Amino acid sequence: MNLRAHHVLLWGLFIAGLMVMPELVSKGTLRTMIFACYLAIFAISWDVLSGRTGYISFGHPFLIGIGAYTTAILSKRFDVPVEISIPLAVVVTMIAGLIVLLPALRIKGSYFALVTLAFMELMYQLVQVIRPDLTGGTRGMSGLQTLTRGALNGYYLAASLMSVLAIIAWLLMRTRVGTALWAIGMNEESVRGSGLSTTRLKAFAFLVSAAIAGLGGAFYVHYLGSIAPRALFDINFLFTIIVAVLIGGAGTIIGPIIGAFFMVFLLEWLRPWLPGAERYFVYGLIALLLYMFQPKGIMAILAGLWVRLKRVTS
Amino acid sequence: MTYTKGLAVGLMTSLLASTAFAEDIKVGFIGSLSSDTGLSTLRGAEIAIEELNAAGGILGQQITMVSADTGEDVTEGVKAYEYLAETEEVDFIISGSIDDVSLGWLPRMQEFQIPTLDTWTSYIGIIDMVAEDPELMAPYFMNIASDEALATLYINFGADVLKAKMGFDSVVIVAEDTAFGQAITGLVTEALAPVAGIEVKDTIIYDIGTVDFAPIFSKAQSSGADFIYQVSSVNSQVISSQYVKLQVPMAMTGVNVSALGMEYWEDTGGAGGGISTLSPIPSVGFPLDPVSQGFVDTYQAKYTSRPVLPHFNGFNAYHGLKQAMAAAEEAGGFDDVKAWNAAMLKQDLRLEKDGKLWLRYGFWQHGEIEEVTQRTYPQNARFDLTAPYDDAQPSMVVVQWKEDGTVGVVYPFEYASTEFELPSWVK
Repeated sequence: MNLRAHHVLLWGLFIAGLMVMPELVSKGTLRTMIFACYLAIFAISWDVLSGRTGYISFGHPFLIGIGAYTTAILSKRFDVPVEISIPLAVVVTMIAGLIVLLPALRIKGSYFALVTLAFMELMYQLVQVIRPDLTGGTRGMSGLQTLTRGALNGYYLAASLMSVLAIIAWLLMRTRVGTALWAIGMNEESVRGSGLSTTRLKAFAFLVSAAIAGLGGAFYVHYLGSIAPRALFDINFLFTIIVAVLIGGAGTIIGPIIGAFFMVFLLEWLRPWLPGAERYFVYGLIALLLYMFQPKGIMAILAGLWVRLKRVTS
Repeated sequence: MTYTKGLAVGLMTSLLASTAFAEDIKVGFIGSLSSDTGLSTLRGAEIAIEELNAAGGILGQQITMVSADTGEDVTEGVKAYEYLAETEEVDFIISGSIDDVSLGWLPRMQEFQIPTLDTWTSYIGIIDMVAEDPELMAPYFMNIASDEALATLYINFGADVLKAKMGFDSVVIVAEDTAFGQAITGLVTEALAPVAGIEVKDTIIYDIGTVDFAPIFSKAQSSGADFIYQVSSVNSQVISSQYVKLQVPMAMTGVNVSALGMEYWEDTGGAGGGISTLSPIPSVGFPLDPVSQGFVDTYQAKYTSRPVLPHFNGFNAYHGLKQAMAAAEEAGGFDDVKAWNAAMLKQDLRLEKDGKLWLRYGFWQHGEIEEVTQRTYPQNARFDLTAPYDDAQPSMVVVQWKEDGTVGVVYPFEYASTEFELPSWVK
């Protein structure tokens, strides 16, 4: 796994920074950070699968939505305690992850992306027409149990969840399995030729990605207290996740976190000055310029700065 | 020295200004800043605030407003509510949100307990939440008749006009593939058709990106139905104008959101005659009482961009915000939600036209049962479902655009300014 002392130190500083944040910022900013933490979780989930293996998933909202809807329905309609409904939601999402895996056994590239997009669209239609008495139909459900009250508690929960998932994903990606997943992204045939089972490796990536998505989706819906098909199975939601990864830096764990925080904060900071749709234009423009300047994302920019700093100091 | 003095004076002025600002009553607008309906609520609230401030404000304080755009997105709605509550720390929120957006931010309203008035969402499920948990939902008021009340009266239109007057026995539903489309389709299929004795021959769902409706109209014709019931909220001017241009030989009525605004004629390029739609009140073509007309005059003098005439929710915002402030005055502010709720429930604005009760901005009380539906509508706008509508206005009207570009109310008959008629090309 090749763990070094500075890894522990950096993760420790990262977590300490997150934990001390409520002392430094307003409640309004904490609310923004909560959304950023959940987006970061979804971005990490996408990155574990697509950022590593190269299988670009357009169906991630499908997985997040399954986790969210499972716990929402169980807790709201059947009074199942969230301590049970959330783990169940993760299990159901992992099973759904295997369903998404099936096309990946035969197709890849843009074909795979389109098939996964179809999963999202299918789910969008299904939750509206199949048992709307359970799903809430087109309008969704409101008044779901929330796990916390107030910005502070919500922030600690979201930041802790994000940190734990980020560290687990980071550790996993530093194992030999993680390296093999990277290799699949670069040349799947070579990996297969080396005697490794790419099917098993891909199944592993899909399951881990689905577990993170399901857990994130379940906690997210119990933070919001409401759920609607239009909010989850939506192309904008999908693009937000993917752009967070690309802006931050795909194939890293910190990159998607930075990308998620960058995107959420940029939009919220623009709100007082540009309350209408103009802020999306400015936000899109900044994201585009950033991507054009460094296609490998903010992580690459930071890495470059770090190298320069080291050169200057030496 | 001069510079230092100037700086000191500047700082003092800023400090005083910020102190005065902090004492203002702060209103938050939540809704879409890019839709005609969202802008109607925003502008209605702005005019009400200007008038209240000109009259001295409330509780000796001036009223200010900040807005938070939802972009009609559910998650953005939650963020917008949080922004208003925790960053702007508003005292009162006025909403121009659609159903699922309101449902999205409702848990935040329950958490923050900020008095909130919804001027556009008409979802009966929210009123059910008020009935189930009045304490938790105490800050919430909806001053548009709920969708159930709208549908109930629309069934009468089906029976009185479509069935009795026009002799229609069957319908084909042409509905867009949206949450709104599916909800209305359900209401028509389950309520209008069976109660009015009209058979649903077929239901055609179309994508909101559809630009060529010829095959859809062709399929509708082949169903053998007497008329088309359209359900269209997104780009609904497209289906209307193609209906006119293609001269589809069937009557078409239903719900057409673009026809709710005065821009409809321009948006359809003058090809929108014959279209009728259900509309909350006041609608286009709805004769106004002097007070509401005064609001429209001020609105049109102040705003030159669309919507040139506020949608119904603009009126709701204008009258509703004044009522919310009057309730706050009685309750000593917005902090005591229970006291504000009690004062808000007492608000009752009766507007007359030619000596007749024309519009009433009041609320159903807790436990008060409406006669026709035999159910309660606590904290929902008061409406009347029975002619001659002497307790309040009807929950909705049906308006029809004529081929000469004029528009009028065709139902209920007591509020009608014109008669429902078939387009000239329909035999």
